[in-house]
Amino acid sequence: MTDHALHDDFGRLVVTTLRESLEGAAPALGDLDRRAGDGDFGDNVRVAMKNLGRELEGGEPADYRGWVTAMSRAWLGVGGTSGPLFGMFYRDLARAAGDGEVPDLAALAEALAAGQAVVQKYGEAEVGDRTMVDALAPAVTALREAAGSGADAVHALGAAEKAAIDAAKGTAELTARRGRASYVGDSAKGVMDPGACAMALVVGALRAAAGADGGEVRADWIG
Amino acid sequence: MRRSIVNDPDQLVPEALEGFVLSHPARLALDAEHRFVRRAEPATGKVGLVSGGGSGHEPLHAGFVGPGMLDVAVAGAVFASPTALQVLEATKAADSGHGVVQIVKNYTGDVLNFRIAGEISGDDQVETEIVLVDDDLATDTADGGGPGRRGTAATVIVEKVCGAAAEEGQDLAAVAEVGRRAAASARTMSLALTAGTHPGDEEPQFALGDDEVELGVGIHGERAARRVPFTSADGLTDLLLDPLLEELGLERGTEVLAIVNGLGGTYPLELNLVARRLHHRLGDAGLAVGRSLVGSYVTSLDMHGVSLTLMPLDEELRRLWDAPVQTPALTW
Repeated sequence: MTDHALHDDFGRLVVTTLRESLEGAAPALGDLDRRAGDGDFGDNVRVAMKNLGRELEGGEPADYRGWVTAMSRAWLGVGGTSGPLFGMFYRDLARAAGDGEVPDLAALAEALAAGQAVVQKYGEAEVGDRTMVDALAPAVTALREAAGSGADAVHALGAAEKAAIDAAKGTAELTARRGRASYVGDSAKGVMDPGACAMALVVGALRAAAGADGGEVRADWIG
Repeated sequence: MRRSIVNDPDQLVPEALEGFVLSHPARLALDAEHRFVRRAEPATGKVGLVSGGGSGHEPLHAGFVGPGMLDVAVAGAVFASPTALQVLEATKAADSGHGVVQIVKNYTGDVLNFRIAGEISGDDQVETEIVLVDDDLATDTADGGGPGRRGTAATVIVEKVCGAAAEEGQDLAAVAEVGRRAAASARTMSLALTAGTHPGDEEPQFALGDDEVELGVGIHGERAARRVPFTSADGLTDLLLDPLLEELGLERGTEVLAIVNGLGGTYPLELNLVARRLHHRLGDAGLAVGRSLVGSYVTSLDMHGVSLTLMPLDEELRRLWDAPVQTPALTW
């Protein structure tokens, strides 16, 4: 196993770690959305995690692709705009590995990039529009750089997580052009974008899951 | 204050779908998990047709499931798009190996979820084409910017002609093409005397004075750009007809398909007065109502209002409109 490889249990750990951190952060994410959006994002997270439970009822998926696809379907079953966009993001993240396989770091970086592209396509959002894309774009850049420099998986994903968190915090200074926050204009100033925060938790879950024994995702910076 | 016949407002849509399908056991079946209605006996050997959108517009869309029209209709919450996952499962259910045409009213949420479902259904080798319905003249913007015209009552026409083309054995591209042609040539104008009231709410979505009419209203209780003085049935009909005739610029001798559509709280008697004025006015202009529907087909809860849709007919559209149809809301 090279340093770039991820372990066999990676898919399960990504989804279970992310589920725990999203459930924990749902009230804080909902609060951000109430201050700078239409207030439904906390509920969207809760519905998605309920859907995830239903997707997993029939038995645990066999591989990374199956686990992340369950997360994708869970979000595709959520209304609003964030549901389908996160659903499409996870669909590309799931494609980092074929059936029965585990992704390597380069494939993971390219899957995140594909996820960014599909969210931008359907969400018609650019970097700086105060959306989930703002956390995703720097994470892709950081992961590509770290993977290219030969860093091991945990450190490479750690760099991506840090980039995502810094960028999510930075959304507090941005004015929304897309998404429901665009209707409240400058009154969103000083409030982080909940979609960007959730995306940083996703990258955090990838980092945590890369360690053989999993780990926790820090969410205390959200609120 | 308006009271509603409702148990739990959160269960309104699934309970209504259940009741609707129970009432048509030989014709319809329900996927309760994904909230779509399909034909009890799925068609094979033809292009599939799926449509759907928010609830509150009944009999659209489930009322148009059956031979000659839709294969599957998927329902969101009141005035909210179904989710991408619902649309995905509905699209797959509509496929019998010949591809699926998705008929979508032009609203941001519906378009997003249907487009995404179309892309994902490709993973299961289901080919899809989207036909957008955007007939609402009141939301026409000169520069073509923004989300574009809303989809309203012309949806019935598009579902009917696509359904007939599919039954004739036309392929995916041809069925989509005739739907797009119908949508592009149909225009609708609507007005309301009273807005609809959400189930469980006590007040309508917006208030109007006794002497006011909301002109150019949509089917989701959104406000219109214009508010005009209340007048007679003939006067109200003219408010709808004048801008339609100006927009369509029909040559003398043209036959049109007309839909006089109640918005949920309008009497059949009232609709017949609109139909009467329509026939007289078109006759005076050297035009003819070649085919028409008068009734409540695309509603907005209990909105007291009417919409008028006109589409010029040609030989193909007339043939597809006249083709047999057997659905709960439309049969000939």
